Amino acid sequence: MRGEYHSSDHYVAPPEPPTSRRPPVATVGPLGWVRANLFSSPINSIATIVMAIILGGLLWLALDWSIRSAQWGVVFNNLRLITSGLYTRSEIWRVELIGALLVMLTGLSLGIWGYVSRGVFLTVAVSLAVILGVLLIGARIGEPTLYMLAEPERTPASLVFLGTQGDEVSFEIEPLTDLEAINARPLGYIENQSRTDWSTRAREARDGTLDLGAYNLHLTAALFRPDGSPVTRDGAPVRIAATPDDAGSTQTVELPRTGWYKLEVVRDDEANDENAGYAWVKVRGVELLPSQSELLAAREVEYGPRPTAARALLAEEAAYRYEGTRTFAEFISLQVAPFLSTIALEAVVGTALFLNGWVIGILGRRERRVRRTTLAAWVLSVPVILLLLGGIEGSRALPAVPSIQWGGLLLTMLLTVVGIAASFPLGVALALGRRSDLPVIKLVCTLFIETIRGVPLITILFMAKLIVPFFWVGLSDLDMTVRMMIGVTLFSAAYLAENVRGGLQIIPHGQIEAARALGMNPLLMTTLIVLPQALRAVIPAIVGQFISLFKDTSLVAVVGLFELVGIVDIIVSGQPIYRPYQREAYIFIALIYFVISYAMSDVSRRLEASGAGSVHARR
Amino acid sequence: MAQSNSNEPIIVCRDVNKWFGNFHVLKDINVEIYPQEVVVIIGPSGSGKSTFIRCINRLEEHQEGQIIVDGIELSHDVRNIAAIRSEIGMVFQQFNLFPHLTVLHNISLAPRYVRRQPRRDAEQYALQLLDRVGIPEQARKYPGQLSGGQQQRVAIARALAMQPKIMLFDEPTSALDPEMIKEVLDVMKELAQSGMTMLVVTHEMGFAREVADRIVFFDEGRIVEVGTPEHFFTAPQHDRTKLFLSQIL
Ligand SMILES: Nc1ncnc2c1ncn2[C@@H]1O[C@H](COP(=O)(O)OP(=O)(O)O)[C@@H](O)[C@H]1O
Ligand SMILES: [Mg+2]
Repeated sequence: MRGEYHSSDHYVAPPEPPTSRRPPVATVGPLGWVRANLFSSPINSIATIVMAIILGGLLWLALDWSIRSAQWGVVFNNLRLITSGLYTRSEIWRVELIGALLVMLTGLSLGIWGYVSRGVFLTVAVSLAVILGVLLIGARIGEPTLYMLAEPERTPASLVFLGTQGDEVSFEIEPLTDLEAINARPLGYIENQSRTDWSTRAREARDGTLDLGAYNLHLTAALFRPDGSPVTRDGAPVRIAATPDDAGSTQTVELPRTGWYKLEVVRDDEANDENAGYAWVKVRGVELLPSQSELLAAREVEYGPRPTAARALLAEEAAYRYEGTRTFAEFISLQVAPFLSTIALEAVVGTALFLNGWVIGILGRRERRVRRTTLAAWVLSVPVILLLLGGIEGSRALPAVPSIQWGGLLLTMLLTVVGIAASFPLGVALALGRRSDLPVIKLVCTLFIETIRGVPLITILFMAKLIVPFFWVGLSDLDMTVRMMIGVTLFSAAYLAENVRGGLQIIPHGQIEAARALGMNPLLMTTLIVLPQALRAVIPAIVGQFISLFKDTSLVAVVGLFELVGIVDIIVSGQPIYRPYQREAYIFIALIYFVISYAMSDVSRRLEASGAGSVHARR
Repeated sequence: MAQSNSNEPIIVCRDVNKWFGNFHVLKDINVEIYPQEVVVIIGPSGSGKSTFIRCINRLEEHQEGQIIVDGIELSHDVRNIAAIRSEIGMVFQQFNLFPHLTVLHNISLAPRYVRRQPRRDAEQYALQLLDRVGIPEQARKYPGQLSGGQQQRVAIARALAMQPKIMLFDEPTSALDPEMIKEVLDVMKELAQSGMTMLVVTHEMGFAREVADRIVFFDEGRIVEVGTPEHFFTAPQHDRTKLFLSQIL
């Protein structure tokens, strides 16, 4: 073939193998990863850079909008609606109790069976620190200026507000005597009517139909307590008396006590019977109150009735609109801090309960009794939760709350959890039935699965609403929420059955033979050998199904139930001031959906990775 | 391992016939196997060896003839099948361990759920068996983490955990790398010496010669020749047997 062999064809390795060396630096670590994955080729580098620019730009736009101009009040002033819908106000403690129960049980179970990574603890600690920190910082950042227009027709007017002792409140009068002054856009909260007037006048001034130079306003602005006595500083009443020539200086006062105050702006008709012209009345240091009537009522109970006056205007959110772009500090104090202050108590209590349960779980994980009790508590929690939610007809301690009032996140989670808990066994049973040797069972299961899969969910929900009672009168009394649960469950079970069937198909026949050879009956074989392997193999598909079930619950809005998405309609129809801010509400709700879905798929990934006994680990 | 005390056969096959569709896979099988006997079945691929031993624990159904195991005739009666399966252990070519369970659970599962033994007893016995097959340290591992030879030894332990009277082996070493075959055969030898009744399908002629009491030669669905190893390897009678031996030896 190749002729003669020489001694150079003979090779013997040296007796000692070479020592192992570390790989070159540029191929390992973060730098190596970036090189290998983001800049491995010119095309990849270009793609990386382009995508970074696009993503960065989008992120910038989103942040810019949400910090500088979005109005998140629609979210944080309606958290109760968002979380529990129209659940009876005085009974809301029941929902909170359920939340507390579940948080504690979760902590306990994680302590016993789970493993909470340090990262999770760090995240929770940091979040709590941020919540409390922002609250502290937010309280220190001053409130933006309130603008009201003083003008011949609507003055005198009074601003009624709630002040805290030690707050520094200041006010000033800024005459609008030339075009430049009236064209300057105010920055802060502008009273709604003033805003309309101002923009009309500014247009007229530009057109030349209004002569700003004919400014001739005598105004007095003074601060009063609810009983009508003036607020004084160094013994003198705090007031500005502005003449056409001298607008007076800014008045600043530290409020003597907590309670209602009234800033009265009066036109001095005696000094001047030809008052004309326009001026801004600017007030700093006053916090706008949430406009919900029940909150306002609560404040009157706490601080007494608010002062009345001619043309009194309450410093409430509904009467003002933020104008201009916010600074980051204002974003923190106006948007983030109020939001966090509404959830701070719940966050702290929730964390405490969770830690409590977790510590008990850690300590008791070796005790059979603790484990048994925890399992029993989960099982027991189902009827307890339903009883707490629904209440008892005619009971005084636990009056019934009709399920039609359950809404928001509460309803979404309820539909999801019930849907998952009920559709899982049903789906598994259908999958097994479809593979059954008995033709009748097989036919029924196949028919059910294919029928449900051939119909959109919304149709099934409508059927649950309309057609079912038509077929069987006994069902017409059935609660709408329960009907929706059934609809969602049946739908999810059909898809789940197909996923599980996929898992059953990949179980090698040898597994079944081995089980039979060991004398197992079909029931043992299914529960001990087939299902554990089949289900584990299709965890991603099953969790995917559960995630879509979670999102699909939003369709129950079509039958008049208001879950997380539908609740936005309730918010804006009840409170028209929030109509312009539906965008913010939907974004927040999208965030909730995302966080929960992400958590679910994360759990699925962990489940998949845990244990070496997956089918894929077979050699 | 001589044919001992009892003269009553533990397995009796009378005129067993089986078809897969129209394909006549077992033809008039007649054989009797005595307690503590080791019978090795050899024969070319596709001759029906696996089908035959699978009929004995009813993984396959025969259509004609009788199979009587330990006095119980195999029929459609579910109780009979359950009773017989719990007396017969089986070891497969592909191990068929349960991949989602640890070695310990693989072995103790059937005793716990089929025999309803307390968990602690079942696991203790499982550990003894692991010791017996030479891998006591692997109890907490999953099958996927073991070598082929170790997996097959676990499979043997799993079958023994039900304390069977008879063990069936269907080519237990055919899926193994050469260096692992011996460890499995050693376990089987030890088992044979302990007096277990064994029915072994194998191509390991060394094992057959050394351990078997009798050798059964299968071809095209029938038994062609039965004899002791000396007779079988030194003086085969049938032409088909001679041809087969000349091909493999
Ligand atoms: N489930 C089955 N269906 C149809 N034919 C089968 C089946 N199992 C085995 N056979 C056929 O029966 C014959 C005997 O198979 P088998 O008993 O596995 O042979 P061996 O184990 O001796 O190699 C082969 O021809 C095989 O193709
Ligand atoms: Mg075979």
